[in-house]
Amino acid sequence: MTPPPAQSVAAMIRPTPRPPDSKVNRDLLGVMTGASLGYWALLLVTGGFIALAGGIWIYQVYRGLGIAGYTHPVFWGAYIVTFVFWVGIAHAGTLISAILFLFRAKWRNAINRSAEAMTVFAVLTAAQFLGIHVGRIWKSYFILPYPNQRGLWVNFKSPLLWDTFAISTYATISIVFLYVGLIPDLAIARDRAVGWRKLLYSILSLGWQGTSSQWKSHNRSVLHLSGLATPLVLSVHSVVSWDFAVSIVPGWHATIFAPYFVAGAIFSGFAMVLTMMIPVRRIYGLEGYITAYHFENMARFLLVTSIIVAYAYCAEFFMSWYSGVESEQTAFYRRAFGPYWISTWTMILCNGVFPQLLWFKKLRTSVPFLFVLSVLINVGMWFERYVIIITGLSSEYNPATWGIYTPSWYELGIVAGSFAFFAHLFLIFLKIFPVVAIAEVKEIAIHQRSHGQAEGH
Amino acid sequence: MPDVLGFYDAPDDVAEAVKRLRGRGFTDLETYTPAPFAEVDDAVIERPSRVRWFTLIGGLTGVVTGYAMTIWMANDWKIMLGGKPFSSIPPYTIIAFELTILFGGLMTLLGLLVFGRLPRTTIDAAYSARFSAEEFGVCVRCRERDVVEVEALMRSHHAKEVILVGA
Repeated sequence: MTPPPAQSVAAMIRPTPRPPDSKVNRDLLGVMTGASLGYWALLLVTGGFIALAGGIWIYQVYRGLGIAGYTHPVFWGAYIVTFVFWVGIAHAGTLISAILFLFRAKWRNAINRSAEAMTVFAVLTAAQFLGIHVGRIWKSYFILPYPNQRGLWVNFKSPLLWDTFAISTYATISIVFLYVGLIPDLAIARDRAVGWRKLLYSILSLGWQGTSSQWKSHNRSVLHLSGLATPLVLSVHSVVSWDFAVSIVPGWHATIFAPYFVAGAIFSGFAMVLTMMIPVRRIYGLEGYITAYHFENMARFLLVTSIIVAYAYCAEFFMSWYSGVESEQTAFYRRAFGPYWISTWTMILCNGVFPQLLWFKKLRTSVPFLFVLSVLINVGMWFERYVIIITGLSSEYNPATWGIYTPSWYELGIVAGSFAFFAHLFLIFLKIFPVVAIAEVKEIAIHQRSHGQAEGH
Repeated sequence: MPDVLGFYDAPDDVAEAVKRLRGRGFTDLETYTPAPFAEVDDAVIERPSRVRWFTLIGGLTGVVTGYAMTIWMANDWKIMLGGKPFSSIPPYTIIAFELTILFGGLMTLLGLLVFGRLPRTTIDAAYSARFSAEEFGVCVRCRERDVVEVEALMRSHHAKEVILVGA
């Protein structure tokens, strides 16, 4: 090819024309603009619940933990139940982002951003319950190993302290993971935003331009963060389960707890992602990005983890019978037929039985069915923690000390507030950050365009 | 020295163009891509990213810190429990593990910032919002007399547009 004369280059010196924006950008950045009346209403309602829960909490700090339904012998109640529930919810994001990344499951990129965001919000929600449960919030820093006049240190043999380290590490790493993934997308938003958004995205995108050195470091960082987050996500709920399993309470003292909790966490996390993303996809017209294929894959995950959880339920009952230990046998008999039988059977139906319907492809691909099922699973998983914690504590070794715990309205108000808090943060996230990983979607779209091959969605 | 900027649509063309340009001695070049493409990034920078050393150092620091902190604290205020050793390693492993992840993750983030040269307060003159749409850019800094050759090379690899940046 003969090179064109030098003048032709000179002639081409002109300001870059208005960039032809891509459809992916328009569709996915479009979610962030134009809040509808319904959005503001939801924001207001969730804000109201947060205010209510905050009010209750202030009252609880003023009056003391007595306003909660704690009665002898149950001193871990709805707060700890909800703490474990939210830590569980937090597991889907890292699983989708890190583990599926390492397995090169390309379908994850439609849902990974929203799942990562939910992880961060769920951990933040869960962490609050530690403070709420402790009661004397002004002493909650006692859990940290800080130098003090008494020369005392914390007890590193306590599972509660492992929890502190696990949860704070998980919160930090999931925020880092979410942020690192966001940087390229924030640069996309920066190039198209005006006003305060332009300033915000300019700061947060750190001057990202998508150069080779940037992408190369970014890819490597995401790989390493995934490699670090994978054992982390498995450790976090294991550590939470050891809060129970390391004690000697009948119904808690079981070696199956760590894998059982991790499977349950992934199960509930996927259910929460479905509960949140099905309406978001519908409202913002993201059907082209989050397709039936993605939902079906998530449904398969639900099915697999449901089977693991159901197996764990069966194994627990079997082992308590087979052990021949009377206190264990009594604990499990009372779990199924005692005062908390409603919670137990709710848990078994919602987590073990209903998800089996996902064996049918027709139901796996039915979005309304998945939505209803995911809500039921959320309910079931909250009850699972309720069953484990409350039935365990309410009937320990000595029948003379058995007692019945019922959550008070104050506790339920704070629990409701936690759901509102989670939803509120997610609603704000929707309008400020790209809810689908734009660069990752483009990576696949461009590959498909230039190679004409279908490699997943 | 002028910067010649070529616009592309396909990552393969960019990777080929980069290889040819580098082969011709135009090594002062930069690519702008809307998403990570290994073929492009490997064509520009051959060696694997050094972020991994940051992760390694962070992780090792974490595991050492975790064991050192717990063992030291257990021995700083000794509590005698049935003649058992003051430090019990199995539970401390959990702390050491969590700190390995924590420090490793934070150092990975630092590695990204160091090797990605972030944060930066200025944007390259060659950068444009087209690269955060779906176009690719290759920017070569060359001598004036090489501009024609660079342009020809870019076009021969399906550059759809070649401009001089800020000349």
